Amino acid sequence: MYKILDRGIHFLAKSMALIGGAVLIAVIITTCLSITGRALIWAGLGPIQGDFEIVEFGVGFAIFAFLPWCQYARGHARVDLFTPLYGPGMNRVIDLIADIMMFAAAYIIAWRLWIGMLDKQRYTETSFILQLPVWMAYAAACIGAVVFVIVAAFCILRSARQLTGVRT
Amino acid sequence: MSNIEIGLWSFPVLLTLIFLRIPIGLAMLAVGFGGTYLVNGSTLMTMGQMKHLVFGTFSSYSLSIIPLFLLMGQFATLSGMSAGLFKAAESWLGHRKGGVAMSAIGACAGFGAICGSSLATAATMGQVALPELRRYGYSGPLATGTLAAGGTLGILIPPSVILVIYAILTEQNIAKLFAAAFIPGILAALGYILTIAIYVRIFPDSGGTLERQPYAARFKALIATWPVITIFLLVVGGIYTGIFTPTEAAAVGAAATGFVALINGGLNLTKVKESILATASSTAMIFLIILGAGLFNSFLALTQLPQSSAAWVTEQGFSPWLVLAAVLALYLVFGCVMDSLSMILLTVPIFFPIMIALDFGMTPTDFALWFGILVLIVVEVGLITPPVGMNLFVINSMAKDIPIKDTFKGTFPFVLADIVRVIILAAFPSITLALVWLIY
Repeated sequence: MYKILDRGIHFLAKSMALIGGAVLIAVIITTCLSITGRALIWAGLGPIQGDFEIVEFGVGFAIFAFLPWCQYARGHARVDLFTPLYGPGMNRVIDLIADIMMFAAAYIIAWRLWIGMLDKQRYTETSFILQLPVWMAYAAACIGAVVFVIVAAFCILRSARQLTGVRT
Repeated sequence: MSNIEIGLWSFPVLLTLIFLRIPIGLAMLAVGFGGTYLVNGSTLMTMGQMKHLVFGTFSSYSLSIIPLFLLMGQFATLSGMSAGLFKAAESWLGHRKGGVAMSAIGACAGFGAICGSSLATAATMGQVALPELRRYGYSGPLATGTLAAGGTLGILIPPSVILVIYAILTEQNIAKLFAAAFIPGILAALGYILTIAIYVRIFPDSGGTLERQPYAARFKALIATWPVITIFLLVVGGIYTGIFTPTEAAAVGAAATGFVALINGGLNLTKVKESILATASSTAMIFLIILGAGLFNSFLALTQLPQSSAAWVTEQGFSPWLVLAAVLALYLVFGCVMDSLSMILLTVPIFFPIMIALDFGMTPTDFALWFGILVLIVVEVGLITPPVGMNLFVINSMAKDIPIKDTFKGTFPFVLADIVRVIILAAFPSITLALVWLIY
């Protein structure tokens, strides 16, 4: 049962990161096209309208999409200097505490992002050039943030199982 | 407890959390959150801030350069350009005493010009150069020490992810900062080459030499590195001529390195996915630290601690140079236990206001650029000093037969070279600033 769950979460986090990566690559292509267009103004071409906004929204979405994978893959920077001193039991407790803290952070980030989105929706704020509703960019980011909460919750289970000595 | 006291107490709490192996960004986030609660008596302010802070940070145009440079570095490692660079460096330097090791340094410097990350540079050049070094009889300490040290050229020679972050923290011009890093970067490479020259004269049996190559072959090998040169000129040249913003330059660089990797057959769907996942992990790590540092620093600003400590240091009438020496020494010590990025994000907002208030006889911009380069070099030393120097472990994991102790021993001369360089650059700010003055 746990194994299926683990595989599912792995798939979820990885897919989210890959979607984020695809958006990042799309941003790169858009930027390159826009620069080419700008360089060829004399030939009747031009830069892509609102390319800065596309970069901002695209990269913003990508980074939210990257958060779950980093948590699942234990990619966050930490100081391992004293790890050998604590012993295996203590280290597992620390892992569990860190994962609980990360879940709390993920939850707060997602919850506040949601509230922020409702704010933007209420004030019908739009981006400067493309006139895109800003709340939509928030909504897209919410997907990554919600997946982050789910993955972080799973990580608590994962380290709790390791603490109680269930073989994974 | 007064606000200043809360601010002071937050440091031991933060360090305890960090040394307990709580992820650094998370620790800063938690202390920033808790500290603001203690100062304000409620979480209302932080919760209000969080509504737009996270999205605002993640979608900031200037910060979007980070994932782009990281992806560019990933593509660069797959592009096969490292082998060409090493061959070119070998044809010019290989016949000297310790020449293969010197070539590895030269190639690292070249790779640093298209890759902004130290670990990626060490890992990529390690794959190419380590077998060659062993083949020509280079001793374990010299071979691994050279590559670990050479890797640090990745962040010193622009483009550099850490310089971008420093630029954003201190509101400096990224292009100017890259210009300031250029001469110190070249000096670093020359200093390492000199270190090798001295090393092989003290330990004559630690490495062999290659045959001297005719100039025709040398230039041919150099010309073969044209993709690297083109990408570097495109990215850096684009920034300086004002054709691109730095973010656009990073996007162009990522596209170009990706294209070269594709042509050279280094890029298939699996590799693209791997590159994306590696970029995803580093990006998320960096942005969590940026977010944490943002919250922590806004808490510190609330306690008035940075302002009062800056005022205090000025009042004491310490010699500015003494303060600078103390700060740099502190970075060296901390660099041994903390990773460079977290250190920059954690300390620059605290030290920078103190340092810029001191009188070094230069304009604030010049000071900011010069101080940034000095800080970059001292934190980069942390990458090659035990116990947590990441470059050492990256290289050592590739050379399984060499004990980590030998790697530690082998990097020691390079650490000395770094310290000598920091002293020279600190004593003569014009070395760093000359190129900036020339261009702007």
